[in-house]
Amino acid sequence: MDQKTISQDILLRMVKAFVKNEVAPYDMEIDHTRSYVNNLWSKVKENDFLSLMLPEEYGGAGFNGRTSAKVINEIAKGNASLAVTLEGHFKSVDQIVKYGNDELKNEYLPQAKNRIIAFSMTEPSGGSNPMGINSHAEKRGDKWIINGDKIMITNGGLAEIYCVLVKTAPDELSFFVVDNEMEGFEYGKQENFLGLTGVPVGEIVMNNIEVDESHLLGKVGMGKEIGDSAHDDARVLMGAVLTGIMEHELDLVTDYATHRKAIDTPIIQMQGIQRKIADIAISKETTKLLYQKAAWMKDHGQDYEEEAAMAKAYGSRSAVKAGDDSLQILGGYGYSLDYPIEHLIRDARAMEIAEGTVEKMRTAIALKEAESRA
Amino acid sequence: MEFLKENWIFAEVDLNKVNPITYQLITKMNQISELPVTVVLVEGSSESLEEDIKEYGPDKIITIKNDQLVQGNDLEMTNALDTLIEKTGRPNSFVFAATVVGRSLAPRLQARLRTGLTADCLDLHFEDDGTLVQTKPSYGDNIMCEIVVPNHRPQMATVRSNVFEAKKLNNPMTKVINITNLKVVQDKQLTISSKPLPQESAESITEANRIVAIGRGDKTEENLTNAKRLADKLHAVIGVTRPLTDLEEFDINDQIGQSGQSVSPDILINLGISGAVQYTAGISNAKTIVSANTDKDAPIFKHSDYYYVGNAEEFSKALEKALQ
Amino acid sequence: MKIVVGIKQVPETTNVKINEKTKNIDRRGISGVINQYDRHALEAAFEIKAKTNAEVIVMTMGPDDFVVSLQEALALGADSAVLLSDRAFAGADTLATGYVLSEAIKKIGDVDLVLLGQQSVDADTGQMGPIISEFLDISQVTYASKLDVEEGGLRIKRYLENIEQDITAKLPVLVTVTDQANDPKYVNIVEIAKSFEKEVTTWHASDLNLDADRVGQAGSPSVVRSISSPKEVVKDNYKLPDNPQDAADELVKILKDKNILVEDK
Ligand SMILES: Cc1cc2nc3c(=O)[nH]c(=O)nc-3n(C[C@H](O)[C@H](O)[C@H](O)COP(=O)(O)OP(=O)(O)OC[C@H]3O[C@@H](n4cnc5c(N)ncnc54)[C@H](O)[C@@H]3O)c2cc1C
Ligand SMILES: Cc1cc2nc3c(=O)[nH]c(=O)nc-3n(C[C@H](O)[C@H](O)[C@H](O)COP(=O)(O)OP(=O)(O)OC[C@H]3O[C@@H](n4cnc5c(N)ncnc54)[C@H](O)[C@@H]3O)c2cc1C
Ligand SMILES: Cc1cc2nc3c(=O)[nH]c(=O)nc-3n(C[C@H](O)[C@H](O)[C@H](O)COP(=O)(O)OP(=O)(O)OC[C@H]3O[C@@H](n4cnc5c(N)ncnc54)[C@H](O)[C@@H]3O)c2cc1C
Repeated sequence: MDQKTISQDILLRMVKAFVKNEVAPYDMEIDHTRSYVNNLWSKVKENDFLSLMLPEEYGGAGFNGRTSAKVINEIAKGNASLAVTLEGHFKSVDQIVKYGNDELKNEYLPQAKNRIIAFSMTEPSGGSNPMGINSHAEKRGDKWIINGDKIMITNGGLAEIYCVLVKTAPDELSFFVVDNEMEGFEYGKQENFLGLTGVPVGEIVMNNIEVDESHLLGKVGMGKEIGDSAHDDARVLMGAVLTGIMEHELDLVTDYATHRKAIDTPIIQMQGIQRKIADIAISKETTKLLYQKAAWMKDHGQDYEEEAAMAKAYGSRSAVKAGDDSLQILGGYGYSLDYPIEHLIRDARAMEIAEGTVEKMRTAIALKEAESRA
Repeated sequence: MEFLKENWIFAEVDLNKVNPITYQLITKMNQISELPVTVVLVEGSSESLEEDIKEYGPDKIITIKNDQLVQGNDLEMTNALDTLIEKTGRPNSFVFAATVVGRSLAPRLQARLRTGLTADCLDLHFEDDGTLVQTKPSYGDNIMCEIVVPNHRPQMATVRSNVFEAKKLNNPMTKVINITNLKVVQDKQLTISSKPLPQESAESITEANRIVAIGRGDKTEENLTNAKRLADKLHAVIGVTRPLTDLEEFDINDQIGQSGQSVSPDILINLGISGAVQYTAGISNAKTIVSANTDKDAPIFKHSDYYYVGNAEEFSKALEKALQ
Repeated sequence: MKIVVGIKQVPETTNVKINEKTKNIDRRGISGVINQYDRHALEAAFEIKAKTNAEVIVMTMGPDDFVVSLQEALALGADSAVLLSDRAFAGADTLATGYVLSEAIKKIGDVDLVLLGQQSVDADTGQMGPIISEFLDISQVTYASKLDVEEGGLRIKRYLENIEQDITAKLPVLVTVTDQANDPKYVNIVEIAKSFEKEVTTWHASDLNLDADRVGQAGSPSVVRSISSPKEVVKDNYKLPDNPQDAADELVKILKDKNILVEDK
């Protein structure tokens, strides 16, 4: 066995045990209290989850895309919020690795071990259309002065470092890296979201934040490319989150249907129930194959935009539908706030919007299909 | 090698009393063994526990009275049993209790005698040629294995408590042999000091060995006081069904069941509980279940080893009295 | 101080079933993990290491893929690892396994403390500790619920059914550890890669001073004749008498006979 396989096996063993003991038992409590209860967050940091895909040269563990996605999948089985919190960090770290200059990388990547990095594009004036944003950066001497307001940021409030999309000219989008210790940085309002309630989602306000040239991610005008790259990353990981949610749903319905009896027969023997359970299983497996293929393509340097979009577009609708079917199988208990099904539906629903709406996903897929035939 | 045509049982003694598993083993061996059944008893010099053992009718009791050995050092005890076996010859089989003591001593003797041992058996029977067929669970009781030791003697096993029933048997032929001159070399490496374990009730129901659970059929102030007295008497912890968490003094940590806690006590006494699936989901690992309910068709009875049809409070009071 | 910790790789779940077709245990999709009790044995070793600078050597006998568990132990903090792997070891019962492990411990030499888990969660025998102690000719303390190092040895708490023991042990000694003893840590994710700087040594049968008749299937007195699924435990559903006192008296008698209720001391 080679080092890579052994390392991955050890990692997945550890993650499974961690999820079983520290995450899954608190799933409902995390949802209800909107927080990572029982010191979960400090345990996550202590065990260096934040360094999972950070390259070894910056003090990370350097696991590849596929392994990281599997880890996200395992965590989501226990609690989808925690998986999304990590997803938000991983995709941000990845963009700094990919686009950052050496100075920026040496400054921020070693910190990524302990400080969460978030990625913020959306503004009150628009999410799907990046050109609609108002935030902007102006060059003064050898500094950039950044102003603007970013909302709905995954880990907003929890994260300390932010990759922000701004206009550097009326038609020019660029990314900068700012952090919460800079003058002019302020946290804004927290969203009151329906699902993934463990994930803090919030606002930051930037008032004349002054940064060095090194804080420019990539080059001026690369905003769209970097945004797309982050989306691709995130969509693969969301495919993994959605797979985990469906696995959680399957655990619940198979157990319930095996033990719940109608008259004397366990309801798993009834064809109507079987059909629903089988469809959940098919959707779960399809989403899993899609995200794993996309992750594999990423690790092998191929263009995986379309597969990533498919994983998220297909996975999010499927998980919501699977949740709805699961609710029905559990009958009145499914509809109860005392059972986890309802929050799994709310959680999955977020992923039809976050990281690009499913409509945008389909645009990407359709255009890719056309492009490949042109 | 000289074989002895006998089947042996090691008597387990705790706090100057014979552990009932020993009686269970004697009764079982008497039932299945063609060969004479011998009990090996190690006791303090002033004790005579062989008298208690006799009531269960083994064919022979070998008594080793030795104040050093009763300290419970596995190495010293292994030396003693090995010396004994050297004198008598190797018996056909030698079974021990699957207690901490038995499970520590038996394998050491196994290694000394270089024979086979099966741990934690749930069933035993002999074949005509004297082969002991040993059934043991593995994978946490999810798989059963039948294990034999064809070519080595003694065939050794440790056996779980309470799988066989003990029955007194009048056997006028029981012979008692006293071994007095056994030399014991003291193990200077270990100093063991023992004291009785106080019977404390566990803090939480998830860890409790004994639970008195109360349901809506036993929830008046007076019922509760009685149930608590019973729990005290038993060193048990109180658990409740969900409706009782409406009361000030109980919360989800006291609630047994699907949206509460899963419990695994040795004994669970259900008072006035109907047995809804959400409740029984939490008790599937309870070993012995006793239930009292006024409804003769209460679903909880199907999950119970012993059930009482009638008023739970009266039963609880009677039980308290029976425990005096 | 030199400590050897024996670990076993076991299926991640004991919830296994027998495959109807093969009549064997169905292990599809079940991967291996370090036996849970062995994590406590390792943690006990690390706690001692933290206090005394002890050297911790982790050892397993098994097929080559057990190396994952050894590597995991290295990532957790062990200093070096030994894999005992050879076709000749296959099919071993506890006696034959204990023999090979004890010979390997002798080969390491000058070992002060051997730590094992109280039992494996697959075979569930708990025999390894006493067998290895016997072959090494050292004293044993099984089922330790608490371990502390002190001058010249260890101080150990151990619980029997109704007795609490306080034991002081001089070295060398072998101790098996329960899950009460400590709280094992998780592998730190970044430490995994670093652990590859440490060494895993593989010893085959020829590397040890072994009597060929005492290893593997040939050296195993015990034979597993068959395996089966347990019968469903059906509850007795015994109805107690209608009179409450009769019912209570009968119940108490039954429970005492069955040793479920021990009489108050
Ligand atoms: C849980 C969660 C976490 C989030 N985390 C982040 C984050 O970390 N960083 C961040 O920047 N943002 C984040 N967002 C915001 C998210 O990216 C935006 O909500 C999303 O991009 C949609 O933008 P919008 O809400 O402004 O909707 P709009 O863009 O106004 O869209 C409204 C509707 O119009 C449709 N639509 C818009 N344009 C088109 C088009 N061209 N073709 C077809 N249909 C179209 C959309 O699909 C949608 O149905 C998060 C959102 C959620 C729910
Ligand atoms: C989502 C969900 C989760 C749930 N989770 C749990 C859970 O975790 N734990 C749980 O316990 N419940 C749970 N429940 C509730 C469960 O369905 C039952 O309602 C509950 O277990 C009933 O409790 P009970 O047996 O005390 O009461 P009842 O069902 O009302 O039963 C009372 C019983 O007492 C008997 N009785 C009456 N008087 C006497 C008397 N004098 N002497 C003796 N017997 C008497 C009656 O015959 C009856 O059988 C859950 C329900 C839902 C919907
Ligand atoms: C289903 C099943 C039933 C079995 N029943 C019996 C039986 O009744 N009698 C019998 O003699 N054999 C039996 N065996 C064989 C026995 O499991 C093997 O010999 C095994 O390698 C050691 O026994 P154990 O797993 O029971 O170890 P245990 O004695 O339960 O383990 C105690 C500790 O010893 C250490 N240890 C155990 N195995 C190793 C190892 N390979 N390498 C390093 N350290 C180790 C660990 O620290 C472990 O916690 C059985 C095997 C199986 C699969």
